[in-house]
This record gives sequence, structure tokens and C-alpha cells, in this order.
Amino acid sequence: MLSLGVQTKNIVEDTNPAEGFSMMKRAGFSCADFSLNYYLTNTSLYKQELNKFFDQSEEELEQYFAPHVRGAKEAGIKIHQMHMPYPLYIPGGKQKLNQYLQEVVAPKSLKVCEVFQCPYMVVHGFKLAQHLGSEEAEWQQTEELLHSILPMAKEKGIILCIENLYTGTGGHIVEGTCCNARKAAERIDRINQQYGTEVLGFCLDTGHANLVGLDFEDFIIRLGKRLKVLHVHDNDGIGDLHQIPFTFTKTRENKVSTDWDGFLRGLRAIEFDQVLSFETAPVLSAFPVELKEDALRLIARVGEYFIERIK
Amino acid sequence: MNIICSPTGMLNPSCPNSSVMDLKNAGFENILLDLAMCCSPYELEHYGEPKQEEEERDRTPITEDLSGIALFFEKMYKACSTYHLSLPIAHAPFLMRDTKRTDLTELLYEIHTECIRFCGKLGCHKLIIPPLFSGLSYGEEWEANRNYYLRLAKTAQKENVMILLENQCRSVSGHLMRGVCSDPVAAAEWVDVLNQETKAPLFGFCMDVGVCNLCGQDMHEFAAVLGSRIKAVILRDCDGHKESALLPFTCVHGGKPQTDWLGLFRGLREAGFDGDLILSMEDTAIGFSPLLRPQLLALAKAVVEYFKWQIEIENLLKKYQSIVLFGAGNMCRNYMKCYGEQYPPLFTCDNNPKAWGTTFYGLEVKPPESLKQLPKDCGIFICNIYYREIEKQLLEMGIAREQIAYFNDEYMPSFYFDRLKEV
Repeated sequence: MLSLGVQTKNIVEDTNPAEGFSMMKRAGFSCADFSLNYYLTNTSLYKQELNKFFDQSEEELEQYFAPHVRGAKEAGIKIHQMHMPYPLYIPGGKQKLNQYLQEVVAPKSLKVCEVFQCPYMVVHGFKLAQHLGSEEAEWQQTEELLHSILPMAKEKGIILCIENLYTGTGGHIVEGTCCNARKAAERIDRINQQYGTEVLGFCLDTGHANLVGLDFEDFIIRLGKRLKVLHVHDNDGIGDLHQIPFTFTKTRENKVSTDWDGFLRGLRAIEFDQVLSFETAPVLSAFPVELKEDALRLIARVGEYFIERIK
Repeated sequence: MNIICSPTGMLNPSCPNSSVMDLKNAGFENILLDLAMCCSPYELEHYGEPKQEEEERDRTPITEDLSGIALFFEKMYKACSTYHLSLPIAHAPFLMRDTKRTDLTELLYEIHTECIRFCGKLGCHKLIIPPLFSGLSYGEEWEANRNYYLRLAKTAQKENVMILLENQCRSVSGHLMRGVCSDPVAAAEWVDVLNQETKAPLFGFCMDVGVCNLCGQDMHEFAAVLGSRIKAVILRDCDGHKESALLPFTCVHGGKPQTDWLGLFRGLREAGFDGDLILSMEDTAIGFSPLLRPQLLALAKAVVEYFKWQIEIENLLKKYQSIVLFGAGNMCRNYMKCYGEQYPPLFTCDNNPKAWGTTFYGLEVKPPESLKQLPKDCGIFICNIYYREIEKQLLEMGIAREQIAYFNDEYMPSFYFDRLKEV
């Protein structure tokens, strides 16, 4: 059954996670996308800076997140999906750092996922095509990484989801890893067959797709049931802004410039029955704190409208 | 590979001599026959609308009199003949990306048929006809276009004109997204099926680089998938958001290009592209004063020649019986990574005496003097950005100019993750 979710960043605080989850519930959400990636951010990783968060033992991590698990449960919020820290490989980075990311951060992230009884973990593929010379060579590296964590994911009943990403040149965003729905479908099927069960799925990021002009309808239909997780957000087609759908227009007619109709037609066509999860944390830091809950309610209302349209 | 310049933005068909002369003087041998000059997207958009009384027309629109195409281009054709410029490929009229007209398919058919006939008469053997898109929903595009192109095929066959499909973007309230034929797998299937159904190689593909860039597409993948079906490439720069046709390498931000030229080079090399490379720089041409046009066109010619050179870089390596490199730094290292196995150099040389006698990525480093003993069919590839300075040095040493070639590692098949800091 279709339900509504939103990412925890800028809502759920470590100091009082229960309050954040309650706010989500009040706003109209029943699910959450737990932003595990904000415990080890990409901005610091690209600077080759590593914090000590994942140095904690599995037991310590379980203890650390116990109030979050409790808070979510009390509020009636299900952790539907989680985002693994990224990148898991830094081109030209120190070998020790890359090893740590893949051998410590990735498996411990799965442990946290299990603690939350979360069924889906989003994993970013590597961005290596420019160096390695082709998307195929890039995927081989991503697949190697996946194979290093898929057995553990399978054991814990977690489905890893690859996500459509972008890269850029001169400030212009162009397609990156996993932007080819045909290839993604073939790869997911092949790997799932290899593991004898569903261990890999897809996470469609609508903002990333919009930035590189993907046809939502075609992309979603090609993925079909492999599409497990969504990152719903909007942008101006230029920057990865993570805003509320229907925010952007480009002409004097002031009609929405993101193809939300195509998105909804696609989801309807594949009978999508998972969670419409919004990845809209920047909205909540942009609005004054006094309007935070109102902004969250608007996001939920947009989600309700989407559900009505999909049905 | 044919180098072709689109004259749009710099040539007035009713007064073409000066521009044709400029193009010829810049070294261009071929120009694009842009049939949209005689029937613009704007004109099509307003087809059939009642004319204002005060509206004056200097000619009958082509949409009302198709026979006017020949007359419209008569002077341009004569000027091209005078200056020995060829018109090997044409682009047919097309609708605006955000057209509201869904009723023009039959009119387009008549125009496109007439364009094919006109191309046939001129001996212009390729015509780019963009696919239909207006009013078509997801899933309807193929059948509508299949029928459309097959209807045109008969005339194309008779006139010996190959029809090239072209990748499109579509406008979602001003935001340009991937449109018809922007999926290379589907586009390749379309071309193949059309050729199978007509039992002749009547159809090919024209890759519009600007459209790929506007849609943020992986151009390596795009070109590689379409492969030998790509008969023409429209080469233009833009910022990836606004529809424009700029001279390549001019759309730059933060010192980096806003078009993924690396992906394009890799893709066209993989596709073995050897067709028509069409430079389209309408906006740049309009932006520059006509006073600067000769200089601008000379630069444009150099730019498009550079593209040809990069795409065909392996042909240059094949040209010589043996190869020697000049330079023992990052460029030499990159050569060895990507081409060392297939085109192994005899050795490399360097001006740094400390490097002589050492080995660099499997190559012996020798002093430049050793180049004097090389056979005449051995190419000396300068692997150092100080090209002209080293070339001068080699020429002063008595090395024949034909033996000297430039290598370039800006657009390599793959890269190291690091660069050597000190060599």
C-alpha cells in the first residue's frame, strides 16, 4: 500500500529523536528515510576527513541509535529506507580511507539498518567513468563493492538499492552512474538471480533525474517492480536543490517545469505500492524554524495528492 | 570525415556572396543546406493564421507555395558554385520545441517531400529530418514516425537521398528534457527497422551534440550505441540549459567546459565515426561583429579541424611505420597507458640530461640527438605542451617536418587517478 515518508535530516535530532519522529507523524507521514549519511558526510569525505562515528562497535552503534528506534516506534513511524554514507570510494584518496569506507562503514551501516528493522538501504555507485574510460568499467567497480556487502545484506533481509546519480562539467550537471534504466534493470535481475533472492533494487531520485532530463515515465516503466525506493524532490533543472515538488517554473506562463505528470503516470503504470519518500531536508533549513512543521505539512499534502493521482 | 559549416546566423540567402566568400577563405569546402532558412519554426507555428492587413510579405511563404524553395536558395547555390563550396547535407524545416501545433503532420510531410526532391536535384545526398513529436504520447512515437518515414522513403530512394533521424529534446514548460530519439538504443532500433523495411540503407542518424548536452546525456554511451548509424554530427556548444549554438570550447565556467567533450570524443572514436561533422555556431556568429567574421571563421575552422584530429587520433598513430616520443612526463605516461601496447614507441627522448639513460614507463629515455638516426618513416610524437618550441628545436636539428607530429592527452580513453608532480 502506498504511504508517505520523509528523510530524517533536519527533523530528527540526536538530542531528542522522539520529538522529531512525532513531528513527522503530526505532519502526516508514516514512514522515514533515515539519513545515516549525515553521520559521515560526503563533503568531509571528499576532503579526505574522517570522523570517529563508525569507529564505534556494533553494540555501541545499537546503543547510540536505541533512542531513535524507540522514538520512531512510539510515534508510529516505520523506518522504510536508509541512506548509506557516500562516497564509498574517493578517486585518488588514501588507500586506508577507501578501505575503511568499504570494510568498516558499509557493513556497520547494514548493522544500523538491521537495528532499525529497515528493509531498504540506498547505496551510491562509484563515479569513476572519466578515469576508467567507460560506464561499464565504472559499473564493474560498483558491482565489486556490492558483492562485498550483499551476502551480509541478504543475511539481514535488507535489499540494497542503487540510485541514479549525476556528475558535472563546468557547473553543468550531466548523467552519472545508474542513469540508464535498461542497464540497471539487466544488472539488478542478473545479481538477484545470482543470489537466488531479491537483494538488489533501485532508488529513483526525481531531482537527479530532472537535472539530466530523464524521461520519468519511460525510466519508471523500464524499471518496473525493481523500483523499491524513491527520493522525491524538485529543482530548477540546474542545481540539486531538494525542494518541494511544484516549486519551479521557467516561463511566463508559470507552469511547473518538472514533469510530475510523467512521474505519476509511470508509478501508476507499474502499480507502485511502496513509500513516496521525500528527500527535502533543505526545505526545512530554508524555512524559518517557526514554519518548519507547516512546511513539513505541505510536503505531506503534496504526497497525499500524489497518492490520489497514482490510485 | 567531412568538415561542414552551417552558415545559419551569418548568411543571407538573398545576398549570399560575402558570407560564402568568408567561408571559403576560412578554408571550408562544404556548407550545410539549412532548409529551415526558408521555412522557420516560427513560420510553421503561425501557419494558417489570418494575416494582419498591414503585414507585408517580401515573398510567398514556402508553406503556401512549396515550389518557392528552389527560388529561395537560387542565389546561395550560385554563390556556392562560384566559390566551389559543396552542399553535401541538408537540414529540413522543423517545429518549435514547445509547439502548440498538433495539426501540421501533413504539411510537414509535403514540405519534407519537397525538400527531398530539392536535395536530389542539387546532388545533396543526406537530409536530416527530425522525428515527429507534437501531440504524441508515451508509446505512440514509434508507430507515428515509422509510418511517416516510410512514406518519405519512396521519394528519398528515387532522389538518392539518405534520411537522417535526429535526437530531440522536449520542453516541459521551458525545461528541456529528453525527447524522441534521445534514447540511443531505441533510435538505433528505429534506424535498423526502417532500413529493413525499405530493404535499402536509406536511413541513418544525425547526433546533435547540443541536444545531448541539454539533456545531460552520457555522450560516450550515446555515440557508442548508435555506432555506424551515425552519419552526421552537429557540433555545437551550449550551457546545458538554454538552446544555443555556440562555437565549441566557448561555453566555459570555472575554467571547465560545460559540454562533456571527453565523452563525445570517446563515443565518436568508439563508433568509428567517419561521416559529416557539422559545425553549428549560429549564436556565436551573430554575437560577433561582421567585421570580425573572417577571423572568427578561421578560428572556427581550426576548432572543427581539432575535433576531427581528436576523433581520428589513432589514425595518426597508424600513419608511421614506427614511433618515437619526445617528452618523459605525464603525457608520455598517459600515452603508454592508453596506446603503449598497441603502438609501442621505440624509445622516448627528453631535454633533461638527468633523465638520459633511465627508463620511464618501460621506455628508454634518450637525448634528442638520437632522433637524427631515425628512419624517415618513423614518426616523432611530441608529448609535451610546449609543442611549438619543441617542434622548432627538432626542425633546427634537421628533422623533416613530415616526421614531426603532436600527441595530446586531454581527451584520453582513460586516465590515471593521479598526476606525476615531479618527473
